[in-house]
Amino acid sequence: MMKPSFRKRPVSTFVLLSLLLLVTVFASAMVGSPGVDISFTRVIGIIISGLPGVGKMLPEYSGSHVIIIREMRLPRILLGVVAGIALSVSGTSMQGIFKNPMASPFILGVSAGAAFGAAASIVLGLGIYVLPVVAFASAMGTALLVFALGRIHGKTDVATLLLAGLAVNFLMQSLTAYLIYLSPPEKRTSIIFWMWGSFNGTIWRDFWVVLPVVVAGIFVVYVFYRELNVLQLGDESALHLGVEVEKTKLILLAASSLLAAVVVSFTGIIGFVGLIIPHATRIITGPDHKKLIPAAALTGGIFMVLCDTISRASGEIPIGIITGLFGAPFFIYLLLRSRGKTGW
Amino acid sequence: MVKLEIKNMYAGYDRKHVLKDINMKVNQGDFLGIIGPNGCGKSTLIRAITGVVDYIRGDILLDGISVREMRRKDIAKRAAVVPQNTFIGFPFTVWEVVLMGRNPYIGRFESLKEEDYELAHRAINITGIEKLKDRRVNTLSGGELQRVVIARAVAQDPELLLLDEATAHLDIGHKIEVMDMIKKMNREEDVTVVSVHHNLDIAARYCDRLILMDKGRIRTMGEPEKVLTPGHLRAVYGIEAEVHENPRDGTLYISPIERKEIYRTFGKRVHVICGGGTGGKLLTALVDEGYGVSAGVLNIMDTDLERAEFLDVDVVAEAPFSHVSRERQRDNIRKIEEAETVILTDFPVGPGNLSNLTDGMKALDMGKRVIMLDRTGMENRDHTGGEATAIHRQMCERGAISVPSLKAVTDMLG
Repeated sequence: MMKPSFRKRPVSTFVLLSLLLLVTVFASAMVGSPGVDISFTRVIGIIISGLPGVGKMLPEYSGSHVIIIREMRLPRILLGVVAGIALSVSGTSMQGIFKNPMASPFILGVSAGAAFGAAASIVLGLGIYVLPVVAFASAMGTALLVFALGRIHGKTDVATLLLAGLAVNFLMQSLTAYLIYLSPPEKRTSIIFWMWGSFNGTIWRDFWVVLPVVVAGIFVVYVFYRELNVLQLGDESALHLGVEVEKTKLILLAASSLLAAVVVSFTGIIGFVGLIIPHATRIITGPDHKKLIPAAALTGGIFMVLCDTISRASGEIPIGIITGLFGAPFFIYLLLRSRGKTGW
Repeated sequence: MVKLEIKNMYAGYDRKHVLKDINMKVNQGDFLGIIGPNGCGKSTLIRAITGVVDYIRGDILLDGISVREMRRKDIAKRAAVVPQNTFIGFPFTVWEVVLMGRNPYIGRFESLKEEDYELAHRAINITGIEKLKDRRVNTLSGGELQRVVIARAVAQDPELLLLDEATAHLDIGHKIEVMDMIKKMNREEDVTVVSVHHNLDIAARYCDRLILMDKGRIRTMGEPEKVLTPGHLRAVYGIEAEVHENPRDGTLYISPIERKEIYRTFGKRVHVICGGGTGGKLLTALVDEGYGVSAGVLNIMDTDLERAEFLDVDVVAEAPFSHVSRERQRDNIRKIEEAETVILTDFPVGPGNLSNLTDGMKALDMGKRVIMLDRTGMENRDHTGGEATAIHRQMCERGAISVPSLKAVTDMLG
């Protein structure tokens, strides 16, 4: 029996991207604020000797480099990986649900909701531990509101959902802008910086909080990869192929919004990744979600770490600015290269 | 073996009935066509069969099981649908789309098996799209894409194939090609086909049986020769048409002559006094024969009234379960004046509708031809204590013609 030729490819793509991610992580750990670069071998040594059970076999590393790598760069880089993965998978799923490559993880108002929550926390002086909790609550609350508005007669109509999202996004943005307008200059700066996103000051706790949520969210989305494919034939055809369309959409919308919300609550708003990475990956892997989801996840992780490295090396330019600045030209390049081959 | 059975089924959206009282049976290996004007509920019928639209009353049985009680995947294993057009969101390859037809058979944590690939290949061979296999769907023409969608449905390995105007957008060459392919599957693989058609010639050519729908109801069903009659085409589509037989293979084809705007004025006028379900068949027969038909006085919720409204018959209606008022009686007499012939069916007579019977007497006074259908004997349906029977006898004496069957009524008119 003839097997389809593409069956071998996703594995090699997957391995390649995984290796690339690993290299990016190590390379990124070498780079820091201007003047604090650490050699590749030393980075590897410090990271590996820090792994449980390995430490005694290697010479003990000491000094400020150990602190910098283990306590500052590593949690930050790993959160970057997880955030990149989460936003890409969320975007892939949203684009699949909406059958539209323009959909983003923030389509249900997650980012605008999180921003409002964060701004309110800053204005009220709630402190850095409470802020992510408030931002997350506000993000999920906003998504639920959009979702409730977007349902007609118990059915999720994507066009209505899109419009409801647009309206609620504007509402939350205006509320946030009003808070910024009311606040004193130093708080104003904090809010604006938060809204541009940053991994600066990440601690291990952040990573450990975000990781399980992201793992769970990605598991849910990936389990539905076949439904995401069949949905591309249209809702009715999907029903005719045995997909519980309504249930599938509900679960995927919830998982995708959760993925985006947990990330932005800790990092601030990082746009572009969730919109462009799935799109760019699709140009390379094709639209089959079985390959697309893992490939987009890894690409998102790599891209996020690269952008954060640039951010760190450039004296903490907010990452939300970097992702667009470096991502957009790359995306335009991909578009031009693929034009006329796959349609979009 | 009965593949699909629909019993007294009502379905619709937002409590509005789009389908009313649908009854039909499809046997294994049938090739059934559903025809009817725009908005008659053809597509909704297909959607009800696959559980996309829920039905309000009655039942739909697939292989003897109510579709309402079946899981979506179980429906999808039995019935595949080819819609009129398919827009595919992202540029999948043809092979990927055909493989999606296997979705109902794959569990959540399973992957495609050898059998799935085999059946997808078979579907590609049957539909003759081997050359398109690695193309991306956004590069295909409309005809090519439709064949891919059919291949996807074939990969579903269905016993029932539902086509919802599947060839409407194809040029005549592709139409014939696709329908020939489906006919072949029907003959050789014993796939049961239920297909909605706009094109009556295509329907007549390929379907063994036709269902003609109008305003959400089944108007008539049977072999194409019985369904595609000038009378039916006039009544349902409002066209004057000739139906010819193709000398080559005996299939029918239609040549429309003109569209009659008000076909009700065509032919002689007949007024039918009926009720309680005694007049439904007669009304249908008269409309199909091309008579200008009116009816009265019927209570709202009477099945005869529902039938009359369905047929667009000019009807005098009275409030539900109440006595016929003087106003409605006057309206009824006015309709009698306009008609040449008045037919009274064998409706049960009580105090509430005794005036319907006396209106028949007035028709005789006016010199109209009065035909009385009487299959049951007046005394058996007289709930007035003998008064109705007396009037009935009197009417017969004064020249009303009493006939024992529906056919006798139509024969008298003819």
